[in-house]
Amino acid sequence: MAEKIVEELRPFFDPKAVAIIGATDKKGKVGNVIFENFRMNKERGIFKGNIYPVNPKLDEIEGYKVYHSVKELPDDTDLAVIAIPAKFVPATMKDIAEKGIKAVVIITGGFGELGEEGKKMEREIYEIAKAHGIRVIGPNCVGVYVPDTGVDTVFLPEEKMDRPKSGPIAFVSQSGAFAAAMLDWAAMAGIGIGKMVSYGNKIDVDDADLMEYFIHDDEIKVATFYIEGVKDGRKFMEAAKKITKVKPVIALKSGRTEYGAKAASSHTGSLAGADTIYDAVFKQTGIIRAEDFEHMFDLAKAFAALGHKLPKGDRIGIITDGGGAGVMASDAVAKFGLKMAELSEDTIKFLKENFPPHAVAGNPTDVVGDTDAERYRIAIEAFTKDPNVDAIVVIVLFQVPLLEEEKIIEILADYQKKTDKPIVAVAMGGRKTDRYARMLEEKGVPVYPTPERGVRAMEGLVRYAEYLRKVKEE
Amino acid sequence: MAKEEALKVIEDVLKSGRTALVEYEAKQVLKAYGLPVPDEKLAKTLDEALKYAEEIGYPVAMKLMSPQILHKSDAKVVMLNIKSPEELKQKWEEIHENARKYRPDAEILGVLIAPMLRPGREIIIGVTEDPQFGHAIMFGLGGIFVEVLKDVTFRIIPITERDTRKMITEIRGYPILAGARGEEPADIDAIVDMLLKVSQLVDELRDYIKEMDLNPVFVYEKGKGAVIVDARIIAKIPEEKKEEIGVEYKERCA
Repeated sequence: MAEKIVEELRPFFDPKAVAIIGATDKKGKVGNVIFENFRMNKERGIFKGNIYPVNPKLDEIEGYKVYHSVKELPDDTDLAVIAIPAKFVPATMKDIAEKGIKAVVIITGGFGELGEEGKKMEREIYEIAKAHGIRVIGPNCVGVYVPDTGVDTVFLPEEKMDRPKSGPIAFVSQSGAFAAAMLDWAAMAGIGIGKMVSYGNKIDVDDADLMEYFIHDDEIKVATFYIEGVKDGRKFMEAAKKITKVKPVIALKSGRTEYGAKAASSHTGSLAGADTIYDAVFKQTGIIRAEDFEHMFDLAKAFAALGHKLPKGDRIGIITDGGGAGVMASDAVAKFGLKMAELSEDTIKFLKENFPPHAVAGNPTDVVGDTDAERYRIAIEAFTKDPNVDAIVVIVLFQVPLLEEEKIIEILADYQKKTDKPIVAVAMGGRKTDRYARMLEEKGVPVYPTPERGVRAMEGLVRYAEYLRKVKEE
Repeated sequence: MAKEEALKVIEDVLKSGRTALVEYEAKQVLKAYGLPVPDEKLAKTLDEALKYAEEIGYPVAMKLMSPQILHKSDAKVVMLNIKSPEELKQKWEEIHENARKYRPDAEILGVLIAPMLRPGREIIIGVTEDPQFGHAIMFGLGGIFVEVLKDVTFRIIPITERDTRKMITEIRGYPILAGARGEEPADIDAIVDMLLKVSQLVDELRDYIKEMDLNPVFVYEKGKGAVIVDARIIAKIPEEKKEEIGVEYKERCA
C-alpha cells in the first residue's frame, strides 16, 4: 500500500517526461506560462525530463516539437498537464487513458465549481481515471511546484510571482490563489518549500493521499495544509493518524461558520458546528491547528528547523537583553498554557558569578542593554545545562550598542547544534535586524519578529512532543 | 449481547413509526451497554405505579412518557419528591391531565416511576452525526455551562481513553470537577467509563443512531459513580433496513 501511493504520485513530483496539453506561444496564456516554466527550468538544468507541448494548431514552440495530439506523444510521457477549455477535457482524458499516462494535472477551471454541467464532466473524468488507474490532481487548480525537480505548473509567470527556494516544508492548498500568494510570500520570507500541491476541486488526489505520500518523502520534514473542507472524513483521519506519528502536520482550516446548527434537533447537534468538529479531528489525529496564515508558517519554520529535537516538557527558559521583551515572552508563556522554567540553584549561582551585578539572573534572564555576545553565551550555556529547562527562547535586540552581531549569531547556531533542547530566537526590529534574522535562520535557528510569535511557535513543538509521547504510551 | 438488546429497543421504536425514543426507551438502550441509569420502572396503570413506588421506596419521581411530549418540563409532566401512596394517586391524575392539556392527541406509553436522586455535579454527554466525519461525541458541564457558555468539547467516535481524559481536562469548567473551593473531586473515572461506553454503543449502532443527549448526568464524589438523570436518543433507519422497517414507518406516519 505504502509503495503504491509513492509509485502513483511520483510522476507528479518527478516525471520522466511531461506533456503540456494546450501549450501555446501566446504570451501570458496559461498554456504558455506552464510551458515556459518547464522550459526555463530545463534550461537552468533543474528539470531533467523531456517536455512535450501538445497543440493541434502548432508545429513548434521555442525550438520544441509540438505534438498535434496525445496519441502522438512519445511513450516515456508519464505526466500530462491539461490547460485547455473544460469542454475538451473529457475527450482528452480518453486519449490519455489510451496512451497509458497515469498522472494528470488538470489546471482548467469551469467544472464542479460552476454547477451541475461541470459536475457531470468531473464525474466523467473521474470514471475514466478510475477505470484506467490514472491519478488526477485538480481540476480548477494551480497544480504542483517542486523546486528540486523543476516541476512547476503554477500558471503565474515568474515576473509576477517569485518562487521560493527548496526546503523541508510541504504545502498543500485547496485554493490556487492562496497557494500562489503563499509561494510568492514564502520566497520573500526566505522560507523553503519542498513541494507545493494545489488540488482545486480534488476529484481524485486529496489530502489523505498526500499525507500518505509525505510519510515516505524524506525531503519533507513538516507538512502544512490549507483546508476548506474534507470529503472523506474517515480516510482523512486514518491518513492523518499515520503521518503524525512520523512527522508533524499543520493545518489551517478556513470557514469557521456553523453549518451543523440548522439541521440539529438535539442539544449536542446545535453545538456541533463544522469548526468544533474539525477541532476534534485535529486533536484526535495529532494535527496541529494553525489559527491563521502567519501561525501556520511560524509553526512550519519551527518544525523544519527543530522537528528532530522536540522539547521533553513544557518548561520554557527565556533569555533577553530587553526587560519589556522578557515580560512579553513570559505573558505569552502563560497565555499558551506553557510553564516558566524554575531555574536550578546551580544555574542561578553560575549566572550570578559570571554576570555583572546589574544583569538579572532568573527566568527571564536579562543580560540587559550593555550586553555583549559573551554574556549571552554564559546564559545560554547555563540554560542548556539546567535540567529544569526544556526549551529556550532567546530574545536578541540587535540594536544594543556592544552586541557583536556576527558573534551572537555564531553562538546561537553553535548551541542549537550542541544541545538537545530546542532554541528559538526572537529579533524585533527593522531592516538591519531582518538581515541578521536571515543569517540566523540560514544556520538553523528559527527567528520570530515578536516574543509572542516565538513562544507560540515553541508551543507547537511542545504540543506535538506531548502528542507523540502519549501515542507511544498506547 | 448488549448490541442485540439495544437494537431490539430501537427497532421496535422505528417499527412503531417513530425515530425519537422516549426517555424510558433511551435508558433501556443505555442500560444494555452498562451505562448507569437509575433503577426505574414504567407503570402503565395506577396500580402498577403504586406497586413500583413501594418497591423503589418513597420518595419517588414520576415522569409521563409520551412520544408527543419530548419537553416534559414545559408540559408539566414531571412530578418530584412524591412521599406517599396518597400523594402518588393525586399526582397520577394531575400528570395525565397536564399531558392532555398540553397535547390532547398525546399517546401515553406510561409513567416512569423513579427514585429521587441525590444531586451531583451536572454534566452532559451528547452525540451528533457530522456529514464528513461521522458520529462525534460531546462532553461538557451541564446547565449554564452548556446553555450559556457553550463550554463543551468534541471527539470523533470511536474514542480512546486518552481522548476521554483530554476531553475532561480541556473544558474550562474542569476545576469544578477537579474539586474547586474545598469541594471533593468528582468521580472522573466514572465519566471516562461513560464516555467510552457511549462511544462503543454508537460505534456498534452507528447505522441506527442519529443523535443522543444524556442531560443531565449527575456525577458524584470520587468513587461514588454517576447516574444518567435524563436521556434522549434520535434514531434513524439504516439504508439496508429501509424496506423492512420503512414500510411500517411510513404507514404509521401517514
